[in-house]
Amino acid sequence: MLTKLAGGRVYDPANGRDGAVGDLFVRDGRIVADPGPGAAPDEVHDLSGRVVMAGAIDIHSHIAGGKVNIARLLMAEEHRAAAEEPCGCRGLATPSTHATGCRYAQMGYTAAFEPAMLPSNARHAHLEMADIPLIDTGGYLVLGNDDLLLELLASGAGEAAVADYVGFMLNATRSLAVKAVNPGGINAFKYNQRRLDVDENGPFHAITPRRILTALAGAVQRLGIPHPLHLHGFNLGVPGNVEATLDSIAAVDGLRLHLTHVQFHAYGAEGDRKFSSAAARVAEAVNRRPNISVDVGQIMFGQTVTASADTMAQMNNAGLAHPKKWVMMDIECDAGCGVVPFRYRDKAFVNALQWAIGLELFLLIEDPWRIFLTTDHPNGAPFTSYPELIRLLMDRDYRLARMAELHPALPEHTILGALTREYSLGEIATMTRAAPARILGLTDRGHLGPGAVADITVYTDRPDRRAMFEKPDLVFKDGRLIVRDGVVVAFLQGRTHVVEPAYDPTIESWMARRFDERMGQRLTHFRIAEEEIRGGNGLIRHACQPGSF
Amino acid sequence: MCPFCGLGCDDLTIEEEPPSTLTVRSTDCPVAREGYSRTTAAEPPRVAGIPVPLEEAVEAAAAVLAAAQTPLVAGLGTDVDGARAALALAERLGAVVDHALSDGLYRNLAVLQRTGWIATTLAELRNRCDLLLVAGPDPAALHPRLFERWVAPAPALQTPPSREVVFLCGEPLDSTRAALSGLSVTVLAGDSARVGDAAASLAAALADPSRASGTASIAAGDIAALAERLAKARYAVVAWAAAAFDGTHADLTVERLVQLVRDINRHTRCAGLPLAGHDNVVGVNQVCTWRFGVPLRTSLAGGAPLHDPHRFAWARYAAVADAVIWVSAFRPEVPAFPAEQTVIALAPPGTAFVDEPAVFIPVGTPGIDHSAHVFRSDTVVALRARGLIDRGLPDGASVLKAIAAALPEEAPAC
Repeated sequence: MLTKLAGGRVYDPANGRDGAVGDLFVRDGRIVADPGPGAAPDEVHDLSGRVVMAGAIDIHSHIAGGKVNIARLLMAEEHRAAAEEPCGCRGLATPSTHATGCRYAQMGYTAAFEPAMLPSNARHAHLEMADIPLIDTGGYLVLGNDDLLLELLASGAGEAAVADYVGFMLNATRSLAVKAVNPGGINAFKYNQRRLDVDENGPFHAITPRRILTALAGAVQRLGIPHPLHLHGFNLGVPGNVEATLDSIAAVDGLRLHLTHVQFHAYGAEGDRKFSSAAARVAEAVNRRPNISVDVGQIMFGQTVTASADTMAQMNNAGLAHPKKWVMMDIECDAGCGVVPFRYRDKAFVNALQWAIGLELFLLIEDPWRIFLTTDHPNGAPFTSYPELIRLLMDRDYRLARMAELHPALPEHTILGALTREYSLGEIATMTRAAPARILGLTDRGHLGPGAVADITVYTDRPDRRAMFEKPDLVFKDGRLIVRDGVVVAFLQGRTHVVEPAYDPTIESWMARRFDERMGQRLTHFRIAEEEIRGGNGLIRHACQPGSF
Repeated sequence: MCPFCGLGCDDLTIEEEPPSTLTVRSTDCPVAREGYSRTTAAEPPRVAGIPVPLEEAVEAAAAVLAAAQTPLVAGLGTDVDGARAALALAERLGAVVDHALSDGLYRNLAVLQRTGWIATTLAELRNRCDLLLVAGPDPAALHPRLFERWVAPAPALQTPPSREVVFLCGEPLDSTRAALSGLSVTVLAGDSARVGDAAASLAAALADPSRASGTASIAAGDIAALAERLAKARYAVVAWAAAAFDGTHADLTVERLVQLVRDINRHTRCAGLPLAGHDNVVGVNQVCTWRFGVPLRTSLAGGAPLHDPHRFAWARYAAVADAVIWVSAFRPEVPAFPAEQTVIALAPPGTAFVDEPAVFIPVGTPGIDHSAHVFRSDTVVALRARGLIDRGLPDGASVLKAIAAALPEEAPAC
């Protein structure tokens, strides 16, 4: 079946198209070259005047796994309130799998990635992601607090052995990338350490966070995993943590590194309130170093829930819980989880400045290929607030108007008012489509060239960018129309994106012994079989290119 | 991989003697032995007691359910796929959903939802815990190999690798004593119905052991000594099996234990280990929570799921339900329902009924007849149990999907 999308303004940065009018052709779920005047499309959509982009891709959104379910349990109030609305599933911080897929698709997203899959919880995360309809998914594996890796490092293992370990773990857990969360810190918290400096030896394995960070960044490079090490850095939320953030950038010494929810890591400790924006310093460092990418983790005002593997940071924040209840878990000798409900208040100085710091980062970091639109769902805000965020980036007047409603001391603590940049549609398409696909190694997604999967979103060009991005006219997934005028019109199942880096399997006998001695689970049972992912019909493998970066 | 009690033992040796007799050789765990011994030969489905082909039984079940006004989809002793299918069917029907064994789970979840908690998992217990406090009746009665597999081995990630075990308001079973023979074990037997009071006394004594008061038939000196040990432990774990607690408000006992754990954490590390998990109750609750945003004991009757742990507990709702579909794939047991109630039972062959159900469809057991995903007791680890034999029984998920498919067509909503 041949479908023609005729006459839209196409924003396809990966292929150098920035709003030029053109046709797209779709056959069997993929975009094909113009078949020429002789071809008779089975279906034609007249898109004159409409804006056409690839389906959007969220590189960092907590959509599945143990902590998400704990967050749902803890946020029973929001579900109870929602049950009283006619369709009570809009804008929740803890949507069900079904609502997650629907809300993403309704906003023109066709993929979202769970950025914190613990090794021991990976099977659960995959079972849950398979129940998210409509969109593609995948998970980043959390390493860097696993006792096995720390023991390996402490034993003086070389780069090759560390890479073999990471390679095994990615294959076994069917992951797409490697995530490090407060490397060493979660492990230290299990020994009652509430802080750990970057150059301080951890309590049991006597390894420094810096060593863990560089070892993982090196392993990612050595294995040729497309996505750089995805780092949730040190001292999340602590005033003055910018020093550790800049130090992390320096520590990897030119290796590729992705700093996630960097808004939470761009805080100074200056000024009368000992809390200041360090966005300009972070942006300057990112602008100067092409090996660094970031996603923002923008906060938006309202009730949400924070869920993180970073028990050390979450325990420090537990006193701020709203409502006053929270969950911490130490997990299976590989990480932890902390779930703390939180309400960001626009009249609170700290929250207002967090909001401004996020926007400063968006506007000061110049290259839209290296900065990504996230709220760290649900930590900064539910992902359903993306359209509002896009409006803030594209519309300076709106931004200033919103700023005027916030805490009165805000203007003297942020340069936001002086920033005149407004994102263009092309930059939005880069940041939410082309760049996420490229940085994850998804070669046939995020663009509209021949051979790409036909994940396509069509918008009406409205001056109110929030309204525009909230409700696309048409969304196609694998060439099938799934959303029309904001309504889901067809259900289908997404795919699971993974990498399978090559590694030396001799590491497995060492690991198998450790599993037998400690984990109460055999290594062969830990490994997730292909047929366990979406019943065996869901894996999409992406190539690793060792040494290519 | 044993799917029955939620400990996830994957070191079993099981022998098959044709036709289809399984014997566990490697352990005398009574739960594993009994679970694997139930391999009665397949039998045909029955409608009103009369053997019929599967398709006919499915049609009959669908007809009953299509006519029901207040259906209940419960039991839910099934694997992840079975839970998905059962919950999808319940959504189609606008039914109430619950698991047969959710009483113990809800004592824990009630506290999680009210106050939150600090918890841990089995491998953390095994490798880091230097002081295990077992609160209330010995959980080994429900999870027989808990001590052998997760407590007896020395903690690999603690220096020195020492561990002691204290039983509070409960006495260890003989098998537990045997498993812990190499460890320091203290028993403060006390009054098992008052374990919550003992926890409160311990919490009060943490700050100043000299002000400890005796409670639950435990002397003040013992409370003081234990409080001191908890405060000095490097990684204490407080474990309990809420299903074994007595009384109608046992969640308050859990709440006091959770509060004790939280208080100890002000100074050192401590974590709770709420044990539950027979018949995959933990896994089914996980699936329900991710699919609906709310846990079991939920009504799907009015559009958005409505969770109410009191109203929608199956034993209570059964009194008003006009049709019940009961899934019990792990054990040949189905509770007695009022004689006038229309019951559709999915259970292993050989299940004995007080009253013959309207429809009985024999199904295979997860981890015996088919591969299955189940969750471990600590809620974190999902396990895959492979099928061992083929008795020619359908799995619960496919029967439930077939029933849903036989219902009148209906468009899915977003």
